[in-house]
Amino acid sequence: MGFRLFFIGIFISALIGAGGYIFKLQKDNTILKANAIKMESAIADQKNLIENQQKDFKEILNANNKMNELVGLLKKDLEDLDKRFNKKNRDVGKLAIAKTESIERITNGASALATRCIEIASGSPLTEEEKNATKKSEINSECPSIANPNYVPY
Amino acid sequence: MLILTTFLTSCSGVKKLEIFKQEVEREKLNLEKPTPLELENLRWIIITSENADEVFKKLEDQGIDPVLWGLTDKDFELLAKNFAQIRNQLKITNDLLDKYKEYYELD
Repeated sequence: MGFRLFFIGIFISALIGAGGYIFKLQKDNTILKANAIKMESAIADQKNLIENQQKDFKEILNANNKMNELVGLLKKDLEDLDKRFNKKNRDVGKLAIAKTESIERITNGASALATRCIEIASGSPLTEEEKNATKKSEINSECPSIANPNYVPY
Repeated sequence: MLILTTFLTSCSGVKKLEIFKQEVEREKLNLEKPTPLELENLRWIIITSENADEVFKKLEDQGIDPVLWGLTDKDFELLAKNFAQIRNQLKITNDLLDKYKEYYELD
């Protein structure tokens, strides 16, 4: 009798244990499914992040290139100004003595153009004339790189 | 036995994965760009030893005080170059500001 009761006890315990284990497996399975969904979402977020970072790198590179290009163009404007004063050993002082009125007129014209260059550099929008200038006679010779975007030096 | 079985089945459970994500965007600075300059044109007068009297007489005739601030041809050249350098720096700073605004504020 005692022996039978002992086996019945073991059987019932095993049954409850098995039931508990199955219940736990089901619970684990639910959690694993939820984890998989979260992992997929995290991977998608990471992919998105990497794509955005690559886009940012491209933008940074592009901005750097444009700034370097601008610095180069402005440097050329400055060199051109130097050439205007000293081209072929030109002496502006002697020229001004010889052709006072004409040099005065040229100086005032260049001064007005240089003034406009400062306005543009400070953010003043370009006029249609400045935008459409393509010939030497149409450009602002003091700063074509910033005043005349469509002018290609020839 | 029952207690032992319960403990054994519960001790090695799968941990629930928690991902914390809280993104708070920084407030934008949104400062207005400075108003572009609108400069006055100035008039250069060239004086030589030969035309000095004529220049001062013209000034007097126009009701302008016969006094001028002078520069030698070399100093005039330097002034022009200095202005060109200031202009270049202004352009670079202005473009730099645009690029920063473009990068951080345009989304």
